[in-house]
Amino acid sequence: MVPEGSPAQTAVAGKLAAGKEPAFQTVVVSARRRSIKEAGIEKALFAFTILSSILIFLIMFFVISKAIPVLQANGFSFVFSGGWDEHFVNAWLAPAGEPSWRFGALPLIAGTLYTTAGALLIALPFGLGCAIFLTELCPARLRKPLESTVRLLAAIPSVIYGLVGLLVVVPLIADQLISNELALQMINVCALDGTSLLAGMIVLSMMIVPIFIALAADALAAVPRRYKEASLALGVSHWRTIVKVMLPVARNGILAGAILAAGRAIGEAIALSMVTGSVANLPSVRHGLVFFLEPMRTLASTIIDNAEGMSVATCEAALFACASFLLVACIILSLFARLAAGGIQRKGGAAGG
Amino acid sequence: MAKKRHFAGYAACWVSGVLTLLVCLAIIIFLVLKGAHVLNWRFLTEDPRPSLNEALTGGILAPLIGTVFLTTLGICFALPWALATAIYLAEYAEDTPWVKTLRTGIDVLAGVPTIVFAIFGLAIFTHPGLAFFSTMVEGVENARAFGRSFLVAAFTMAMMVLPFVAKSIEEAIRAVPVTYKEAAFALGISKWRTIRMVILPAAAAGIITGVVLGIGRIAGDTAIVWLCLGGSMTLTGPQPWWEPQNWLATLQNTGSTLTTYIFYSSPAGEGNSPNKAFGAGLVLIVIILALNAVVDYLGRFTRLKEE
Repeated sequence: MVPEGSPAQTAVAGKLAAGKEPAFQTVVVSARRRSIKEAGIEKALFAFTILSSILIFLIMFFVISKAIPVLQANGFSFVFSGGWDEHFVNAWLAPAGEPSWRFGALPLIAGTLYTTAGALLIALPFGLGCAIFLTELCPARLRKPLESTVRLLAAIPSVIYGLVGLLVVVPLIADQLISNELALQMINVCALDGTSLLAGMIVLSMMIVPIFIALAADALAAVPRRYKEASLALGVSHWRTIVKVMLPVARNGILAGAILAAGRAIGEAIALSMVTGSVANLPSVRHGLVFFLEPMRTLASTIIDNAEGMSVATCEAALFACASFLLVACIILSLFARLAAGGIQRKGGAAGG
Repeated sequence: MAKKRHFAGYAACWVSGVLTLLVCLAIIIFLVLKGAHVLNWRFLTEDPRPSLNEALTGGILAPLIGTVFLTTLGICFALPWALATAIYLAEYAEDTPWVKTLRTGIDVLAGVPTIVFAIFGLAIFTHPGLAFFSTMVEGVENARAFGRSFLVAAFTMAMMVLPFVAKSIEEAIRAVPVTYKEAAFALGISKWRTIRMVILPAAAAGIITGVVLGIGRIAGDTAIVWLCLGGSMTLTGPQPWWEPQNWLATLQNTGSTLTTYIFYSSPAGEGNSPNKAFGAGLVLIVIILALNAVVDYLGRFTRLKEE
């Protein structure tokens, strides 16, 4: 690959000559010392690697062990009963002698599932279309800017999505979809002010779509060229080749992308805390389409919103219970994604929760 | 009939592709339109002040400094760790089930939500034995550290970006042509010396890319800052913070970053000065755009070298 005497090789040789290699006589002695040093370095690097991969177990152990008191006190009713806000205030105000351990997180868990499912429903078809466009259909001139755009979308901080969602999407919903009569009718259930499940779904789908596009486009680009050529040579149209040949071949990679996008959606805290109203209300299907307009809150944004409760032991344990649900869900999703793609590369860009 | 279906499919793909471009442009243009008129020299050089009147709420100097502190510290903690992990995985590790387990552990770590890292960091650093990283809480029955400071947040950030930085450095090391390594070995150079003098310099562009990605993630994260750095808008360490004897104390105390400033000033927070939030958002997005441009530039550089 690199020809003899190429600049790269000369540079390498020059650099090595400049270093202080031991003189010829001492080579035998220093060789042994050197091999000890080499082994020591390998051990040190190995220790760091162990530390990196043991971190996940540390986090799991710590978060779950802190959550156990609340989970034990409530049992299954932690998952199947509501009333989080009221319980939280009770625990917060409880006198020091008699702490209140009663918590019910059903609205939070259901809220997390609703927003994630809704965001996936919007993001997957759209993202798949975009990935096909990116790899197969778009003019060569448009491809580079589009790739950069997807990368940039993935890198936009979630707080900015939250800000734009709160000041654009939420007022839009409040003006277009919520009438005064509707708000009056629902006044006993919850306040309809535009911060809603729908706003959460829209903002969340915008946040997860770039990750899905990047992974799906990678999967499509990894389809062997000869498959496509064979299909085209048989006279099959380009579109039919995409649908019948390329998508099935890339299926596992696309599935892994969808799972990773779901993991991101479950863990999103700050943007959803801004646009969904921050009330532990469980949107009810009985209200018909108003379901989408009700305020709600997810597990992750609960930790942000109730963070001031961390100084009370009961509240702290309850928040750790939320975190442990999130953690377990995300670990399971990560493992499934790994299984689906056989160790797919993560391309998230510079985005955080 | 079939033709019509093709047309619908093409149209759907075109629409979603172009819409993605438009959404991205719309967000940036919206931020520029809303934020540009707040942006001036005073906005960048004044500290935030609590006030109900939006005109009197000051600027974003402290959040800007906080972002710089946090990204620098965070990447300083993360880089040696990630570098060691990446070198081991790329150069020393064999393909055994044991090593696969290690890889899985690191991979799963990349999928953990930042809010979980945040609550984990807060819980660990409130342990009284780790009070050095923040300050002790006075006048409480059970001894506990405050658990919120630049050091705590930076360490938590380092854990959060570790898998991403390590992965990208490992890829960079693997992309170094094997002939470089063979040439060095043929000259009788030891393995560690080869890594240090030949492989790492050759992978420099990729390593810097990983670092820049890490910086972008740290600068854009809100959850960890909100929990591990707290909700105070200005630097709470002894003033003036630039005096050398106050440096350590500043890092042991709290502050804010651009992301928490935006969260705090948005209608969702307590500050409620949305125009300031847009100004800070514009500054943040400019930083992210610049970092992305660096990644793009370095990416082109490494690709050219491989050809």
